[in-house]
Amino acid sequence: MDAVVETDEIQEEPAEAQLKIDFKMVTFSLAGKDYGIDIMSVKEISKVTKFTFTPNTFPYVRGVYNLRGEIIPIIDMRKMFHLPVEEKPEGAEEDVIILRLADEMIIGIIVDSIDKVLGVSSETIQPPHPIFGDINIKYIDGVVENEGRLYIILDVDRIFSEDGTIPAQVSREAEVEEAAPAEAPAARKSEPPPKSKEAAKELKFKFVIDTLKTFISFHVTELNSKWTEERFKEWEKRRRSENKDVQLQGPEDAAEFLKSFYSPYTGSLWGDDYKDNLMKLLPEEIKETIHVWNPGCGRGFESYSITAILKMKYPRGRIKTWANDIDLLNISTAPNLIFTKDEIPDYFWDTDFIVKGPKGYRFADVIKDSIVFEYHDILNRNEYPEADVIVARGILSFFDPSVQHRLISEFREKLKENGLLIIGKNEILTAEGWYLLEEGNVTAYRKEK
Amino acid sequence: MRVEYINPFVESAFNVLKEVLGTELTRGELYLKSTSQSILGVTTIVGLTGDVEGRVLFDMAPETALAIASAMNGEELKTFDDLAKATISELANMITAQAVTKLHDLGFDFDITPPALFTGDNMEVSDTEVEALIVPVEMPLGKIEINVAVRERH
Repeated sequence: MDAVVETDEIQEEPAEAQLKIDFKMVTFSLAGKDYGIDIMSVKEISKVTKFTFTPNTFPYVRGVYNLRGEIIPIIDMRKMFHLPVEEKPEGAEEDVIILRLADEMIIGIIVDSIDKVLGVSSETIQPPHPIFGDINIKYIDGVVENEGRLYIILDVDRIFSEDGTIPAQVSREAEVEEAAPAEAPAARKSEPPPKSKEAAKELKFKFVIDTLKTFISFHVTELNSKWTEERFKEWEKRRRSENKDVQLQGPEDAAEFLKSFYSPYTGSLWGDDYKDNLMKLLPEEIKETIHVWNPGCGRGFESYSITAILKMKYPRGRIKTWANDIDLLNISTAPNLIFTKDEIPDYFWDTDFIVKGPKGYRFADVIKDSIVFEYHDILNRNEYPEADVIVARGILSFFDPSVQHRLISEFREKLKENGLLIIGKNEILTAEGWYLLEEGNVTAYRKEK
Repeated sequence: MRVEYINPFVESAFNVLKEVLGTELTRGELYLKSTSQSILGVTTIVGLTGDVEGRVLFDMAPETALAIASAMNGEELKTFDDLAKATISELANMITAQAVTKLHDLGFDFDITPPALFTGDNMEVSDTEVEALIVPVEMPLGKIEINVAVRERH
């Protein structure tokens, strides 16, 4: 009874919307309960079928496993915590989390099933209560509630590296093994049957998707799933050949994975080919005023490029570009961006858009005065007028799916009848009512009439 | 919010507070907000008109306001009386005026309205129409949150 009351209390704790997500964990289930392990301790996840039995070890050591040449011990968490173990057929696949402990020791643990990567705020983590699990309280970091599920966070460094050895006894009561909790075997049975190799690959891919979200806030949706799938295949092959982990270990790996995602000329002025292709997509008729919206403009390269190209296309038009970004440092430097000679594509030299200053080249007032750089969060309301061109290359993918939808419909609302929406090279608009225009390396959409 | 507007407000807040209070200041991380938010208890509002429209809020707890008013008047004020209120309003006026002067030098035409001061418990401010820039300033006397919301006139 006490246990129920305690659990309810914690679940009723209001989740504050403003809390910062600063703790990430890999979650898994074991005997019907949810557990988490700090992502910093997780090296990778894997499906393992073959263990080499080692004699004369603790009963919970299932054997050793060859992880790309490194022999690591594999521990069965159910056995370790004295939970009932269901005999599996020979060669059945097991979900294994491979941990890198604080002392650099690498071990694998067998769990019932790996769930996902979950980000929570460390403020919401509560200290453990003795009745929370079948696991000694000393090995629990805390408990945290997320979407109605209670996760027990395991302190793996404590469990496995006490005095550098694996502890002999982990259970608080030896008889637990006999008096097994009634609900545990049932939970075990409801799990899916052993998965095939395909499923293992699927799981690996899923884990990459989760870690992309965790490390770099890249959300895989129909907008970019085609690219992500192809990229994953290529990535897997390359990492294997380099004898590296397929899984993303941290933000650096995630950034490496996304390297080929970005559109041409991200972080620099648009080159001649991009300009020529874009010119072909722009409508021929001359307009008096042309409004551009460039959300997520970063340091401003896109804003300068699009404004200058429009000025070339419509020399008599009045161009007005609203460029905004949430990164205060980047956007603050945008109005006074300085270039070296090499950074400026050839087509600019025939124009009077570039002037030489004491520190380098910069855009002339004719371009600068057409752009308003604003510190603005795209999630908040804005007052920008209807736009002829919206440049949002590769920014949508970094918002969660509901925000992606909202922004796409906002773009639709803000875009004029004949307007052009330029999105990332590797993004696809699947929403209805968009008409794809492709010209070389430029991907743009127009509203269907 | 135009990036050109941000620095004048941050700089003048620091200059003025440092000058009148003579204390150490630390700036918190700037951020944007557009939902309603609770205010600390003593809030001065200064309106902006001209090229832009909007307002600046100076928000602080009653204890902080009293401590600042005491420090500025060179005597310890016991209650948040008329003198204290006038002092806090003046502080808001000084900071905003200096920011507007800096903006003038950059070629932006701003005007300010006389400050108005609100006090009370459980107050909330909401600008759903305009995004607000929050500049948190930490001092030994307490915390002031400067909340700037402006929009261009199109």
